[in-house]
Amino acid sequence: MTDTALVSDAPPPAARPLVRLRQLDLFGAVVTLATLAGAVVWAFPLYWGLVTTFKPETEIVQPGVHLWPQNFTFENYAHVLMQTKIGLWYVNSLVTSGAVTVIVVVMAAAAGYAISQLEFPGRRVFWAMILASFMVPIPALIVNHFVLMSQFGWINTLQGVVAPQLIAPVTVIIYKQFFDSVPKDFREAAVMDGANDFQLLFRIYLPMNWGITTALAIITFIGAWNLFLWPFLAVSSEEKLNVAVGITQVHDAFGVQYGRDLAVAMLAALPVAIVYLIFQRRVTQAIMLSAGIKG
Amino acid sequence: MLKSKRAEYFAAAVLMAPFVVIYGVLFVYPTIKMVELSFTNAPLIGPGKWVGLDNYWRLATERLFPTAVWNTIYFVLLSALPSTLLALVVALGVNRLKGWAQSVALAAFFLPYILPVSVVYRIWDWMFDANFGIAQYAIAPLDGGQHLSVFRTIPLFMPMVAVVTIWWLLGFNVLLFVSGLRNISTEIYEAAELDGASRWAQFKRITWPLIWPVTVLVLTIQLILQFKIFDQVYLFTQGGYRVDSTMVMVQYIYREAFQLNKGGLAASASVVLFVLIAVMSVLQFQLLRARAQR
Amino acid sequence: MSAIPGNKGGAAAPHVELRRVTKRYGVVTAINDLTLTVEKGSFTALLGPSGCGKSTLLRMIAGLERISAGQCFLDGVDVTDVAPAKRRIAMVFQSYALYPHMTTRQNIAFSLSLAGASRKEQDERTHEVARILQLEDYLDRRPAELSGGQRQRVAIGRALVRHPEVFLFDEPLSNLDAKLRVQMRLELAKLHATLHATMIYVTHDQTEAMTLADKIVVLDRGRVAQVGSPLELYNRPANKFVAAFIGSPSMNFLPVGLTAVEGGIATVALPGGRTARVRVGGAPAKAVATAELGVRPEHLSLVVADDANAALRGEVAIVEHLGNLTLLYVDTPAGQVIVEGPGNVSVRSGDTVGLSLREANARLFGADGASL
Ligand SMILES: Nc1ncnc2c1ncn2[C@@H]1O[C@H](COP(=O)(O)OP(=O)(O)OP(=O)(O)O)[C@@H](O)[C@H]1O
Ligand SMILES: [Mg+2]
Repeated sequence: MTDTALVSDAPPPAARPLVRLRQLDLFGAVVTLATLAGAVVWAFPLYWGLVTTFKPETEIVQPGVHLWPQNFTFENYAHVLMQTKIGLWYVNSLVTSGAVTVIVVVMAAAAGYAISQLEFPGRRVFWAMILASFMVPIPALIVNHFVLMSQFGWINTLQGVVAPQLIAPVTVIIYKQFFDSVPKDFREAAVMDGANDFQLLFRIYLPMNWGITTALAIITFIGAWNLFLWPFLAVSSEEKLNVAVGITQVHDAFGVQYGRDLAVAMLAALPVAIVYLIFQRRVTQAIMLSAGIKG
Repeated sequence: MLKSKRAEYFAAAVLMAPFVVIYGVLFVYPTIKMVELSFTNAPLIGPGKWVGLDNYWRLATERLFPTAVWNTIYFVLLSALPSTLLALVVALGVNRLKGWAQSVALAAFFLPYILPVSVVYRIWDWMFDANFGIAQYAIAPLDGGQHLSVFRTIPLFMPMVAVVTIWWLLGFNVLLFVSGLRNISTEIYEAAELDGASRWAQFKRITWPLIWPVTVLVLTIQLILQFKIFDQVYLFTQGGYRVDSTMVMVQYIYREAFQLNKGGLAASASVVLFVLIAVMSVLQFQLLRARAQR
Repeated sequence: MSAIPGNKGGAAAPHVELRRVTKRYGVVTAINDLTLTVEKGSFTALLGPSGCGKSTLLRMIAGLERISAGQCFLDGVDVTDVAPAKRRIAMVFQSYALYPHMTTRQNIAFSLSLAGASRKEQDERTHEVARILQLEDYLDRRPAELSGGQRQRVAIGRALVRHPEVFLFDEPLSNLDAKLRVQMRLELAKLHATLHATMIYVTHDQTEAMTLADKIVVLDRGRVAQVGSPLELYNRPANKFVAAFIGSPSMNFLPVGLTAVEGGIATVALPGGRTARVRVGGAPAKAVATAELGVRPEHLSLVVADDANAALRGEVAIVEHLGNLTLLYVDTPAGQVIVEGPGNVSVRSGDTVGLSLREANARLFGADGASL
């Protein structure tokens, strides 16, 4: 092997590379198979949960493993759609997650722009504050968020669900970093064209970083949709629940009904799963960004 | 650039206003209030008397809080390190795949990550259901032919919640590792191949040193994240029996504040959690900075 | 720096005027107490080596850079503290700075849309500009889908659409390949001829400056070294810096002794014993005993070694045949000098040759570098 390294364009001796290639194939095949098997194992619980929802309850509690329903049925879905408030929970989730996403993105973009591009007193203090709040565990604030929301009279309201989710320092940090890396020629060209700071932000900086905005919006939306602890604390009436919390409440309503429990769970997962499947690349990018890897 | 200071300050003020209001009201103010509340015996809502360090003293001396701290640490150990290492192994495997096979495998590992925790709970509650769960086919032979309610068996509870958590969040780690591995140029491996480096030597001398920073990053993210454990533990102990022995820190805060109406005590537990996580975050931040400087 | 009438003639009112401006970046002084006037309708090139402050000067005129001291006037109005957008000035950046998310049409119309112009007006003016610059077929493409030359034209279009009074260019052609650069140079000249707008053009390429500009400002470390028409700079450089900077290959400098000055003619002693008579401006002080004689390569000609007219004698070190002409590097008692000869010179390296000097074109520089 070493002599081929020295004389790189000489044809390598025939025998050894062949042996090596065969070894490589065997090892590679084993690893590939193991990885694919791992992927199947990983996906199985999700599949098993999903397929159970298409079985009638009598079939679900029968012994034996059936990977496909013997009697395919939508009865579980029909039941939960009719008998639970999941439609309302969907609306609540959509409204709160949508509001969180819009407010967080606009606020973060504006603050990120100001900190990145403008000189003003207190700029460094704000930046330090944002970096510091990165380290604060939001669950540690639940008690005082609850106290504050009750002072506002916002307990058991949608705005009460939204408000504490608006602390998103990472989003500001990411925007600042991206705005920092916009070459200053663009800014100067636009200033010569007569743009003020608001036009710079909304017509140059944001559109130039549209991909980042999409990525951040999607990940913020998914995060808000999935949030459990705060909505669980802030909401007491069934009408104001979001989907993620709501589905844990149906149990009590039906007694044990595996098919229905799972059907309502699948319905809760459906929107985020669809969003993920459509925007896979953006979700991936957003995750890298929020982990501090610029990609 | 030449522009009037006034216009610049005005723009800055308008653009910073939403951020300042939101952070002031929802972050700075509650944080200060939390510290203040932790020195009183106030109920959740309403005034209380200043009691000095009494709450902290109670946390240290009563059994439950140390148990919650210990359970939290136990859970962090069970979930953070295994999920980091497992993710590295999976990422090495996924990274070898090509084209659609890679996309599909990556999606299979990642999909659980985007699910709400309550859905994850439903799926695994069904998998391990004591009567009809599919996992019982594997458990029964180990348990003398008896079905076992794993989430109601205290020694198994934390490990099982950790397993579910790893299943749920592994994809995040895998993603970070895969992107780290993609950044290692194939030329390095080709050069090593020509030098006759064995597969193990290649891993030890090239992959590991280059992926080590990502490993540290993933591990610290996981440590901080898992310290805030509540949702899974709460959901799997729903129905509420013997909650105390599997109590975690956020759950303790929840119980004191929202079930027992002891706002002051809950706030002091929050301060402890706050400090623990802040310390770890500072460490993570230093690591990130060290990485960025290279 | 009194105004030198532009070649175009006509009323040359000062359009852009800088009075004693200084620009400091911390301890670095990029522009040092500089005064300059640019006439209306002129094409002025700012020329100088890298880092001499050309971009800084241009950006101060644009208002992108705050002036540390001094004033800037446009049409006689003090604009020192006026924001860039309010100066009726347009600038073309070296990087073009085309907004990547906008089409050619949107890029060109951006300033109009910011100014709140109606759709109809935006359309009309965009089309007018696109017609002038032959961009009509590319209006709906984004910058990434354009060639370098097309991007350059869009950048110019973005400036043009505002009907500015002054155009600023910061090395606009430096990102283009050699052939395209020549082509764009011609287009810029054409544009200037049609628009009659004032153009200020930064470059460190003297060919660009010489061919495009009717006035060249040579900058040296933040100060004006000389202002003049291309030929003035070439034939009558005010100092050694300009003399050395303009012209390629560069001017030869020979150390000489000053023996007599009489009636505007100085007699100098050349190394090797010969003398030469050179025209000088004023009467240099008698104290100036030594000076440097500047001679361009084309003002030296080859003669046989013992020719009576040979001012210098030396041995040929290198011969470069360029086809239409030949460059000879000759080692003389005054050091190595470069001589430009005709294309068919048959001298070889190692030959001893004599060099005759066209005295009328030689320049004398004092010890401080100023032209005598
Ligand atoms: N923002 C700045 N901060 C500090 N110094 C600067 C800054 N901009 C320019 N300078 C300095 O000012 C001097 C003039 O710079 P300028 O960009 O005007 O040069 P230039 O003539 O345009 O050069 P080039 O031909 O390389 O573009 C240089 O010494 C440069 O280092
Ligand atoms: Mg420059």
